[in-house]
Amino acid sequence: MFEVLEHPADIGFRAFGATLPELFANSAVAMLTIACELEQAAPREEYAISATGSDYESLLVNWLNEVLYWFDGKRIALREFRVTELEPDSICAVALGEPREVERPRLKVVVKAVTWHQLRVAQTENGWLAEVYLDI
Amino acid sequence: MPHEIQIEAVDGLRYRIARDEGRGMRTDVVVYASEALMAQIRKDLSLEQAMNVATLPGITGPSLAMPDIHQGYGFPIGGVAAMDFEDGVVSPGGVGFDINCGVRLVRTTLAADDVRPKLRELVNQIFRDVPCGAGGSGFVKAGAKDLEHVLRDGARWMVENGYGEERDAQFAEAGGALEDADPAAVSERAKERGRPQLGTLGSGNHFLEVQFVEQIHDETAARAFGISAGQVVVLIHSGSRGLGHQVCTDYVAEMNKVMPRYGITLPDRQLACCPISAPEGQAYLAAMRAAANFAWANRQGIMHFLRGAFRRIFGDGAHLDLIYDVCHNIAKRERYEVAGRKRDVLVHRKGATRAFPAGHREIPADYRHVGQPVFVPGSMGTASWVLAGAEGAMRETFGSVCHGAGRLMSRTAAKKGRDAQYETQKLEEAGILVRSESRDGILEELPEAYKNVDEVIEVVHKAGLARKVARLRPMGVIKG
Repeated sequence: MFEVLEHPADIGFRAFGATLPELFANSAVAMLTIACELEQAAPREEYAISATGSDYESLLVNWLNEVLYWFDGKRIALREFRVTELEPDSICAVALGEPREVERPRLKVVVKAVTWHQLRVAQTENGWLAEVYLDI
Repeated sequence: MPHEIQIEAVDGLRYRIARDEGRGMRTDVVVYASEALMAQIRKDLSLEQAMNVATLPGITGPSLAMPDIHQGYGFPIGGVAAMDFEDGVVSPGGVGFDINCGVRLVRTTLAADDVRPKLRELVNQIFRDVPCGAGGSGFVKAGAKDLEHVLRDGARWMVENGYGEERDAQFAEAGGALEDADPAAVSERAKERGRPQLGTLGSGNHFLEVQFVEQIHDETAARAFGISAGQVVVLIHSGSRGLGHQVCTDYVAEMNKVMPRYGITLPDRQLACCPISAPEGQAYLAAMRAAANFAWANRQGIMHFLRGAFRRIFGDGAHLDLIYDVCHNIAKRERYEVAGRKRDVLVHRKGATRAFPAGHREIPADYRHVGQPVFVPGSMGTASWVLAGAEGAMRETFGSVCHGAGRLMSRTAAKKGRDAQYETQKLEEAGILVRSESRDGILEELPEAYKNVDEVIEVVHKAGLARKVARLRPMGVIKG
């Protein structure tokens, strides 16, 4: 579903998806898996999340920044994502998760932000891939 | 690719990449490095990134790279770029996500021999009292209204509200608060992310280190800074937490949107920028200053809780004073002579420290005769340095020097084949106690993952950008 990419100071991931909605969902899971022990979060509540952009790249950055804001600002750990609508300039999704507690899910690293550095969204033989670097 | 870049060795301390118009460069790149450091620098994308910075509209003088330069995103980390204040651009990525990430050095009235018998107790106490923030909140009580004041008044608000002593705010760069900060330019999201995190360290490379002064290199400056051999000091490295990260995120998105309107095209979207004079540029600067003030308040909060920890272990016998506080991710309006003419520029320092020489009016009076204190943390387990700004920095680097050792190894590579318990033990045998929220954190920040800080310092000292004042050795490390 995703693999970690090395960077001298920060960290990145390469996510895969058979379809674009799956790619966006997997990218969000990849980012939060880098940030915390995501399996400790129970997918017990539903949250509606959306973002806009001007192309798939900017949409992906804005989407991930939205998910990060929910995690670090609203303090909700989102475990699963069901993308309900995806256009080149907008995304709507239902996310399953729960409010964060002090030690659950356990934090691995503070993800400060999603960067545009070497950002990639591309179609492959088997579907789609995205490469994203995070500032940590 | 890095190996295709033509690099000219100027004098063994300076390297030049000539302006390449084909790449859209408007100026040269100048790198400060030794031959050995240069070999390491060439291995990642940092030089490419410094060349990309050279394409930004209004860049004045060369795109500068300090000896601790390493690959960032958009701008390299360890980069300095001055933009003409009338015609130039401002780039949030040129400041970074951690606005006013910086270091403060605190001197104590204790000697290493006083502290060593109680070091474990002290480190554990600090670990309890200074939260890393992984749990989400710190111990500073600040409501939404208070936050507005923090964003305007920075460290001063903390001192006025019981989180510090009167002189603390005076001994920080810009007095711990930049003027013209506008809380209204900071989004509600940024405030929501940042407010509970006030007074917390954060994670990544942020830390708090109990150190001792190992060696003095400049007696006069050391005396002015109040340090002598054997004395215990504490170095605090943190920034503006979620508030600053969100401000940068918000304005990078905004600038990507408006760039076409200003006819700007860039080799990397992370460099997103707009004219300083544009409403978006002004709004970013007002928000950035507010985030910078939050960072000074944050480090002030951490210092307050540090004082409490020392008091608990050593009673009233230990007094802690702030030596100085410098930021290394910031954009500031300053005035320099460029090509024989005085010009106002917006100096972007991303992983670079201001280093004003003796006599500069922005240095506190107590230090003005020796130069601005500059603190350069090395990696956990090696050494950190106290420097004093020198004249060369004003002539060559827009009053800037390096900010650290500079990473050599990726976080994943640093962890590979290493065991946290074994490495902690090894550090302990070398007299360094480490406490960390996460085991990975220790491995990612091991000395092997960084360049040699002494070599970095040697370059800036010999190049006349800053003078060596003292070398510090760690005793106890709290890692975020």
